[in-house]
This record gives sequence, C-alpha cells and structure tokens, in this order.
Amino acid sequence: MTLLSTVKTAAPAPVRLSSFARLARRHPLVLIGGGLLALLIVLALAAPLYAGDPGNMDPFKRLQPPSVEMWFGSDNLGRDVFARTIFGARISLSVGLLSAAFAAVAGLLIGILAGYNRTFDNIVMRVMDGLMSIPTILLAIALISLTGPGIGILIVAIAIPETPAVARLVRSVVLSVRERPYVEAALCGGARLPKVLWRHILPSTIPALMVQSATVCASAILTEAGLSFLGVGVPPEIPSWGNMIANSRLYLAIAPLTIFAPGICLAVTVLAVNLLGDGLRDMFDPRAKRRR
Amino acid sequence: MTITRRDLIKAGMAAGTAISMPSILRAQTLPDDARTVRMVMTDLKIVDPTLSIADVTYMHGLAVYDTLFAFDSKLVPQPQMVGKWGLSEDKKTYTFQLRDGLQFHDGSSVSAADCVASIRRWWQADAGGKLIMERSSDITKKDEKTFTIALKEPLGILIDLMAGGTNFLPIMREKDADRPATEQVTSNIGSGPFRWNEGLVRPGASFTYDRNEKYLPRQEPADGLAGGKVVKVDRVEWQVITDQQTALAALQAGETDFILEPAADFYPAIENDPNLELQALNTSGSDLYLRMNFLQPPFNNVKARQAMLYLIDQEAFLRVMAPDPRFAHPVTSIFGNSTPYSNDENTGWYKKGGDPERAKQLLQEAGYAGEKIFIFQITDWAAASNAALLLADTLRKIGVNVELGAMSFGEFTTRRANKGPVEDGGWSIFISDWSDYNLRDPIGTSFLFANGDKAWWGWPKSDEYEALRAKWVGAETLQERQALARKMQGVWWDFVGAVMLGQIVQPTAHRKALKGLIEVPHSRFPMWNMQKASS
Amino acid sequence: MAFYIMRRLVSVIAVMAVVGIFIFLLLRLAPGDPAAIMAGRDATAEMIADIRERLGLNEPLPVQFVHWSLGILGGDFGTSIFTGRPVLELMSQRLEPTLSLSILTMIFSVTVGVAFGILAAWRTGGLIDRLLTAFSALGYSVPVFVIGYFLIYFFAMRTQWLPVQGYKPIESGLGPWFVHLILPTVALGLGFIAFIARVTRASMLEVLSEDYMRTAAAKGASSYAMLVHHALKNASVPILTVIGISFAYMIGGVVLTETVFNIPGIGRLVVDAINNRDYPIIQSVLILTSGLYVLINLTVDLAYTLIDPRIRY
Repeated sequence: MTLLSTVKTAAPAPVRLSSFARLARRHPLVLIGGGLLALLIVLALAAPLYAGDPGNMDPFKRLQPPSVEMWFGSDNLGRDVFARTIFGARISLSVGLLSAAFAAVAGLLIGILAGYNRTFDNIVMRVMDGLMSIPTILLAIALISLTGPGIGILIVAIAIPETPAVARLVRSVVLSVRERPYVEAALCGGARLPKVLWRHILPSTIPALMVQSATVCASAILTEAGLSFLGVGVPPEIPSWGNMIANSRLYLAIAPLTIFAPGICLAVTVLAVNLLGDGLRDMFDPRAKRRR
Repeated sequence: MTITRRDLIKAGMAAGTAISMPSILRAQTLPDDARTVRMVMTDLKIVDPTLSIADVTYMHGLAVYDTLFAFDSKLVPQPQMVGKWGLSEDKKTYTFQLRDGLQFHDGSSVSAADCVASIRRWWQADAGGKLIMERSSDITKKDEKTFTIALKEPLGILIDLMAGGTNFLPIMREKDADRPATEQVTSNIGSGPFRWNEGLVRPGASFTYDRNEKYLPRQEPADGLAGGKVVKVDRVEWQVITDQQTALAALQAGETDFILEPAADFYPAIENDPNLELQALNTSGSDLYLRMNFLQPPFNNVKARQAMLYLIDQEAFLRVMAPDPRFAHPVTSIFGNSTPYSNDENTGWYKKGGDPERAKQLLQEAGYAGEKIFIFQITDWAAASNAALLLADTLRKIGVNVELGAMSFGEFTTRRANKGPVEDGGWSIFISDWSDYNLRDPIGTSFLFANGDKAWWGWPKSDEYEALRAKWVGAETLQERQALARKMQGVWWDFVGAVMLGQIVQPTAHRKALKGLIEVPHSRFPMWNMQKASS
Repeated sequence: MAFYIMRRLVSVIAVMAVVGIFIFLLLRLAPGDPAAIMAGRDATAEMIADIRERLGLNEPLPVQFVHWSLGILGGDFGTSIFTGRPVLELMSQRLEPTLSLSILTMIFSVTVGVAFGILAAWRTGGLIDRLLTAFSALGYSVPVFVIGYFLIYFFAMRTQWLPVQGYKPIESGLGPWFVHLILPTVALGLGFIAFIARVTRASMLEVLSEDYMRTAAAKGASSYAMLVHHALKNASVPILTVIGISFAYMIGGVVLTETVFNIPGIGRLVVDAINNRDYPIIQSVLILTSGLYVLINLTVDLAYTLIDPRIRY
C-alpha cells in the first residue's frame, strides 16, 4: 500500500453527503414530503413567469375543453383554468404557511407563559378550551364575518382556532421540562428566567412544535379551501382552489376538469405537508426506532 | 323507583319521534299525486308582500291574497275584487263596490273596511301608492261593500297604480292591515284562490298551498293576472333546492314538476329530455343595468358616465349572465324592450363589441387620473356577480383602478346607502336588475327618477329630464306619452342616469305534463289555471 | 372520584361561559344588517331603520346579551330574524338529516377504522400495513368536498349507480334513505377512517410490544383473544379519545358535505344563516355544537376512569 492510498482510505468521506444519504434512507417521508412541498413553493412563486393571466375573461370562450392555448380549458367565465390553478397555489400555500407560522408563534408564547405562570395558565387555558370547543370552520367563518373578506383577516381567522392546540402542546412540554435538574441548576447558578427560557426551555419545545406546525399547516390549507368553497374565504376574484371548486359546481358533468384540476392539486399539496409532518414526527420520536 | 335502561331507551325513542313529528305528519297527508304540483322556487324569506318586493314573495301574495284590480295580458287594468266602480263628474272621486261572495280564509266576509285599511298600509310603501296618498284628501268606506277615494286633483292613472305597482296591493283583514308598512304581517290570511298551509311550513325547505274551495272566481276567462282565477289542482308545494344540479336531477326523476330558474348551462339537457320543456313564462324578462354614484368622483362628471356607456359590450355581458343567446337580448331603451314606450332615441352610442377606445378617451377628458373606483360584487346572485367580474376586467383593460367588493346581498344593501367617497366606505358602481315590464312606468318605477337625493340609489340628477317626467301624469293619450318618452330618453342618454347591460328572459323548466301555466310579462306569475295531465 | 366530577363540571361551566360571551360578541360586532336583508332589494332607508328598531337591534349590547343568555338557559333559543319562527323549530326540522349523516359516518368510520388499524398492527410491516399508511396519508389530505365530487362523478353521473345528490327522509323508506346517504357517508368518513385507523394501529403496536402480551402468547391465548381481549382493551384509551374528538370535528365536515350533496341539515342551516346575518340561528347552533363537544369530552374523560382503573384523579 502506498502512502497515497492509505491517506485516501483513511480520509473521512464528505460528511454532508453521507449524512444526507443517511437521512434519506431512515426518514424517506421527510425527504418526499419536504421535497414535494419545496417544489410546489417554487412552482407557485414562479407563476407569473409561465402561467398566464388568471383573471382575463373571454366570455365568448366559456367552458372550452383543453387546448394549446389553455391547457386545462376554460371555466364558465372564459378564464384559463391552468393559470388559475397555478395562481391558486400561491394563495393556498401562503395562507397555509402564514397561518401555521402565526399559530406557531402565538401558541409558543402562550404555552410558555402558561407553563410558567399559574394565574395566566388558569385564565388563558380556559379561554383556549373554549376556543377549541367551537368547530374550526364555524369559528373561522364567524371571525371573518366580523371584518369582511381579505387575505390578512383570513390568515388570522384560520390561525386563531389552531392556536389552542399548539399552546397546549407547548405548555405540556414546558411543564415537564421546567422540573428537570438542569433547569433548576441553571436557575440556582444565577441565570435569569428569560435566559433560561431561551437556552433551555425553548429548544425542548422545537421538535414538538415543528411536528405540530406541519399538522397545523395542513389543516390551515384545508380550512382555507373549505372556507373559500363555502364562499367566505378568499374574495372570489382571487383564484383559490376552494373557490374554483365552488364556482364550478354546476359544471361537474359538462367540464369536470374545472373541479378536478384544483382538487387534485389541493390533495397533493396537503399530502406533501402531511408526509413532511409524519416524517418529522418519526424523526423526533425516540420510540420509532424500535419499530424499524 | 329505579329507572331501568329500558325506560331510558323508550324515553329516548319517544323524544326522537316527537322531534321528527312534522315529517311524519307530512307522510300521512300526502294527497293524490296528479292533483299536487311540486315546484322548485327560490326561498320564501318574507311572506308579507308589502314588506318585500322579492318575486317569490309577490307570487306568494298572488296565491294567498286577492286584489282589487289586476293587469291582463295586454297590461290593461281589469277589476278583480271590484264589481263596479265609478268616477265622479269632476274626476276627483272614485267609488268602488266589491263583488259578492268574497271571503277570507277564516270565513269572515271581505268588507270595505278591510280594503281601506289594506290600501292605507300599501300606499306607505309603494312609489305609486305614495303618489295616491299625496294626491288624496280622503279614503273612507261608505257601506259594507263600498268605499271611496277622494282626490285633490284628478289622477288619470290611479287604477293603473292600484293594479300593479312595484309593491303588490293585497287585501288583508283590517286587523292585519292595521299596522305600519314596516311591520311584518305573519298571519297569511287572505281571500285568494289558495290557502296557506301553516302546518306544513318548513322555512328554507318547503311551503305548501292548498286550494281554497270557497273561492269564487270571476266569470271571465283567465287573462294575464286578471279574469277568473280557477284553481285546477288540490295542492301546490314549493320546494327550496338551491343546488341547481339537485333540482335538475329531481325534475328529471319526476320528484318535482317545475323549476323556476334553471341554470342556463342546463338548457340543452332539459330540451333533450322528452319529458321536459323550457317555457318562458315571463316573456319580457328583466334588464340588468349598472348604476353609478353621481355624488362622488369620477362619476359625478358626465364624461366619465358617458365613457361607461361606450365601454359596455352587451353581448359579452349577456354571455356571462345568460349564456343561451335565445334568451338574451341587448337593450338600448330606458323603457325596456317590451313596453309600449320602448324607442330608439339617441342610441347612436350602441356598438357591437363596445368601444373601449372611445371610453378611454372620454375618461381622460373627464380628468380621470387613476383613482380607485369601488364596484359591488354580490356573491349570492350569480348573474350580477359574473357581470361585476367582467366589468372589473373590462375596466382594468382600459387602465381603470378597480376594487371589487365581494359581499352578500345584505351587506351590499347596507353599504349602498353610503353617499360618501370610496375611502369612507362609499361606492362607485353597483349592478342590479329591474323587471323589463316595470320600465313602462316612469311614475311608479324609481329606477327612472332623476331628482338627485330623492332618486333611487346612485342619485342621478337632471332637471331637464325631471321637467319632462313631470308632464307624464298629465299626458292623456298613449301617443302623447310615447312622444314624451322619446324626449326623456334623449336626455337620459346624454346625462346617463344608468347604463344597461342586457335583457334576460329566464325560462322556467317543467315537466310536459304540467300545462296551463300563465305567461305574463313580468317575473311574477300566478299558480291558478295550471294542471297536471296524467302522463 | 366525585370530587373529580365536580371539578370537571365547574370547568365545563366556565368554558361554556367563555364560549357564550365570545359567540355573542362575535356576531353582534359583525357588519351587515339583517334588517336590510329582510326589507329586500329596493327598500328605502326608513323602512330598514324601522325594522331594526322593532327587532331590538338598537338596544345596548349588554342588555341584548343578558336577554339572550337567560333565554338559552331557559330553553328559548330565540326567533329567527328572517322567518319569524322559533330557532328550536328550525333546528329540529333539520336535525334528522344531520344526525343520519353523522351517526352513519361515525359507525362506518369507527368500524372500518378500528378494524383496519388492528389488522395493520397485527401484520405490521406487511402489505396491509403499507396500504394503510398510504391510504391514511391520502385520507386526511384530500378535503371532503373534493372526494365528494370525485365520488359523484364516478359513481353517480358517469355510471348512474347511485343518486347524484339530495336527501330522502326515513319515512319515505329505509332503502331510499340509505342509498342517498352512501356517497356522503363515504366522502365524510374517509378522513376519519384514516385518522382512527392510524391511532388504532399506533396504540395497538405499543400494547402489542408490551411484556404482558408475550405472557399471554406463552399461555396459549388465541390470536383473537390476544388482539381483542388483551390488546384492544389496553389500547382503547387513545382510540376512545380519537373517537370523541372525531365526533366533535364532524360538524365542520358535515357543513361541507351537506353543501356538496345538498342535504338540508343543520350545517346548511348555519351557513345560510351566516349569509343572512340571522344572529339567533348562528348563535344557537354555535352554542349547541360547542356544548356537544364539551359534553363529549366530559363523557370520554369519565369513560377513561371506567375503562382504565389506573386513571384516578
């Protein structure tokens, strides 16, 4: 053996590549789900570059079958279904992700505070329980009817019913972690509470929070679609998968693609998020290894 | 005593049965199918015809209440409940005498006092009625069957106004009519050819009318809304099925006999079915229009309004509002397409395909600089909603900054009352419809007023136009009115009080076995005379 | 034990109070005027103002709230602004379709879901398990209205096997009633099956790997006895929770399903009421569904103590 070959064999393989391959083999769901989601996000962001105009109406070309100009055909107002489907992705994804982020942050704050402060816990958790007992869709509709349609309101209205579940989860993590010896030790050592929260408590909540956020995101996308379907979500001129389906209800027999195109996209998107969430849960759950 | 599980179960079953009692009742009282007609109608939300002018409320009124006069198929008012009537020499006092045999559903006879009370209530609400109220000095009953209306000056069109205003004139019992026009009457006791079946009412789902055996129809044959109201079925059941697909499926299966407003995209399916037919009962249809806010920029400037006139491509709008070209026609007269006053004065602006270039130029001349305009989009009314979307798209293509406000009809009516600028919750354009037939009457139809603040929403103002309109009441002959109509329209299209989007005739769909439906030139038709042939 | 029940009841009352205030405020602050809707398209401003006055919509909020709460507690859910009929009557007329759909879906989802979950856990790693995982991921990714239209298109429109939409009440015959409910139940149930099956599988797997299962096997218990007597009973706590939660989440799904299949139930009632700003109906339905959810939670909690003697408070 030459010195060179010894060095070659002794040199460690590039760490990133092998750990990525390891990830892929052990947590395929994260890869598939996350990858699909990333792809959808890219497609949605790039929409203005390739998709065409979702709002352009041509009343004399209503309900046309797929053609070279309009790949999915046209809807009952002569609009391009393909363009609307792609632009619909922007709405669903942005509302879903932003609502999930909003609920995650709000839930995190509330949960941490509740875990640490008894009175806050008692009052706020009652309110959270109350919110959780009102069916999500009805609560969202009621919130939206307060202010009228608008995407910002929609995001908040969808995030609010999802926040209690996150808050509960964070709270239970906080409650269990705060008794741990290292937390007590840190406090005894003179660390102030905020610092303890930041360095010790917060990191413990991250795994559960990530998994829950994925669930919330999937739920938010479905809720937005449901609300738009019922006519109380995104304003009707903005294409959203939910209101595209509602708009085309009459045409199921005549032009089924107007319903199936947004429907399938919706299912695929939510599936991607769910797979990601499942993968994350498996990744963080120590017991999962037992079952492999 | 201990409560056994069996007792609990029995109690539970009893409770369950009690709750579903109404549906069981329905099963037991289903009469013979050939004498029952089932109709899919829009939801009957308000049963008081004075309170609401919804078409379906009007038709409810036609069924349950009787009227003093009614229009025949040529729009000539005919006496209905009135047996004889007379006008004094000085043309200022009308005397009406009821015919015999008129009875309310509770058995009491119809008296002149009931009529007087009903008229007093109606004229608070109806535009034509208000005119009568202002012009009258007295309305009293003379005896059980006679009453008079005394006027300060002659009013030639009084009978016309009483026969068919925007608001129906139902004759109710005095105790029901004796309340303000804004307070809802819920008793539904009239003297009409149908009786309201209170026990089978299911709001939002179904309403039932039974034949009134004690009704005494006039001798003349049925003609329009006038003549003898002979009911040839035992029961009519109105079903509310909002989903068009379901309604069509029900019609095809024979579970229902009639659909009031089938979706245009289903016409081919209906016509291809050997058991079904499309029939336009309302031969004159309704006109969709847009109205602009005269009080706020940009439409306070006449050139901006004229721009809208040139912009609209009625064919395109008709395609999205009513896709079947057989039932959709452009309309260029403010008096509609089917009235005696329809004319073509000053309609040079009409061009197939619209004229967006001219519109853009006119907007520039008006000084439009990109300010936001607000257009209502009424989401629970498909034709208007689609029209609003197309309008926004068309305006955006010529560079106008449009905000579409999507909202339900209720919210729309609230915001429409706001006269302020768009930034303060005001509005610029709204789209609605008016029965084409009602456009024959510039006195009773507030759509045709142009008296600024007192006019209908949009508040159009033109003194020249109003001066002409004031002459309408005094015009004695049809020719005089037609000449006047030409002049009025000439002025209207100069100052553009509103812009027409197209005339739509909405055919009904029904099983061929259902015959005898009366065609009337407006969107409220009666249920007498129809019958089911056994097929 | 009694102490525990007392505490739970107190918290139930507190929660319902919060819900009540929240719901009431929510609707009263909303824009849109029921009086304007009642008056119709061409009404004047005075007519609308008059109607508002008579409906009591101009009284101060706290007064309206007190009226409303007292009414609810006394069983009076108010009168629909629109139709003038008692809300209770409107709801009871719509109850049968919603109950039919919900109960049928519950039975369907629980039976199929639990069975599927047990099977997957038993043959873990095998074909059934993989199928289940794939299916359940799909099951709660596809929204109910998309599944609904798919089912209608393939099983009703294209093939005419089942009715397209609509609802037939029980008194018109059990056959038509059931046939019209097949597609809606499947559409609504798929999501719940996925959920229930997953949790059942996970819970069963946990239990199956416990020591006492090996003991039972060693003692010669049959597969059936092992699965059902030993495993299922121990695994049932999370499963019950999930069933309880599902029943509560059902109302959201019911609203969408009733819209797709045009079933005249409470879900549609409340959506129409929201469009009309018919406050009494909206409030009553929200309060009732929240109450139902809270009640179910309470029942599930109490049921735990019956099933698992180790859970004591």
